[in-house]
Amino acid sequence: MQKFSFNRRLVIIIVCLIVSFALMTVSVAIRNKKSTPPLVQQFGNDIVGLVDRVVAIPSNGLSGSVSSISELLNTYQENQQLKKQVSELAQTKVRDQTLAKENKQLKKEVSLNNSLTDYTAVTASVITRTPSSWQNQVVINKGASAGVQKNMPVMSGSGLIGRVAEVNKTNSKVELITDNNDSANRFAVSITTKSGKTVNGVLSGYKAATGQITMNNITTKAKISKGDKVVTSGLGGLTPKGLYVGKVAKTTGDDYGLSTKLYITPATDLSDLNIVTVAVTKS
Amino acid sequence: MYRLSKLRFGFPIGLFFWLLIDGTVSQVFSVQLFRTPSTMVSHLVVLWLVCGAIFEADSALSMPLARWAAVAGAVFDLYYTGIFGLYVFIFPLVIYMTRRLVSWIRPNFLSGLLVYFIDITVVEALGYLASRAMHLNDASGNAFLVNTLGPTLAFNLAMFVILYFPIRWVYNWLK
Repeated sequence: MQKFSFNRRLVIIIVCLIVSFALMTVSVAIRNKKSTPPLVQQFGNDIVGLVDRVVAIPSNGLSGSVSSISELLNTYQENQQLKKQVSELAQTKVRDQTLAKENKQLKKEVSLNNSLTDYTAVTASVITRTPSSWQNQVVINKGASAGVQKNMPVMSGSGLIGRVAEVNKTNSKVELITDNNDSANRFAVSITTKSGKTVNGVLSGYKAATGQITMNNITTKAKISKGDKVVTSGLGGLTPKGLYVGKVAKTTGDDYGLSTKLYITPATDLSDLNIVTVAVTKS
Repeated sequence: MYRLSKLRFGFPIGLFFWLLIDGTVSQVFSVQLFRTPSTMVSHLVVLWLVCGAIFEADSALSMPLARWAAVAGAVFDLYYTGIFGLYVFIFPLVIYMTRRLVSWIRPNFLSGLLVYFIDITVVEALGYLASRAMHLNDASGNAFLVNTLGPTLAFNLAMFVILYFPIRWVYNWLK
């Protein structure tokens, strides 16, 4: 009898393991191939998302008020610094408007409707964050009904933070570029060097120890120096051109000495996200 | 009698509350919890489940904990990670382990702390192994122990110390 019950337990454990791995494999496959999750999952996620808002809104509000009190303490200094920047910004903004207008006219002249730089911004707030160290994901409060699609790039502050990994009707999951899975941070980017040359490449990973994005397999002869700006190149997929990723922090040879490897400091603090912007491209 | 007590509704409500609080805590304190390279993962829902198993043994009340643990795991998988089939098995396993452990030792605050230590280690280790198998991360075993397991244990044991008596009060009130 003892032997029988031991065997039965072993069988249960093995069956559970097999079922678990089968389910995980299927859901990873669905996640990689389909543009939306199965309907049941979408529906469930929408309902949980609604309930979560009831829990999240008071606590996020509370943390907002706490941080605003701490910000109040250095308001005076900040105000003085910002005043200087505002006067510069007004000039840049006017120039930006004029250039955008001119650009539109020129596009019309050559009958070019949409170019790689065109996108509309959908602003969303972060409801919650995945409590896991293997998946750096946040859930935002805009979904398919607001025009969000899978793989669209997401920005916060001044730079790129990740891409949409899963879209439900009223919320969606954003996979941050700090996530180290096989597909999270493969963005096509380009770097304009000091001598004016353009270097194209693909982001290849994230180094958690230093908090830098890495970029491998660059075989160009152009000299990339520290401080060069990295922006998305708009090649392939749904990412528009010209989203700011970060600055080059270090260039080294790769492990085999054949190509160049770059370390990029991200433009935004990736651990502190409250309001994000989804770049919706017209396709 | 479980069927007649307030626990019948109180337990699931608490379960989902702590499940959602896990995400909210991770979001609100993300600067402190997810400071690279080390990450602290909040597992308050596991705390609620483990406390349920401990107080169940204490008061000779039988609750359908494993079933609710599986439901919480399913919601966790679908809503938080998007990969179904991991926590839906880990959470009932935690209940099973805790029940076995508290049948051997008399549950109280200190032994509960040790049981919770083992539970969190199992949750994190299985989560790590599964995500390695599914190619969701490429962290080495050393990096896992130092950067994730250590800080996570520290955070969750502190939470156990802070929340054990309030949660016991809630269970006693619901009973």
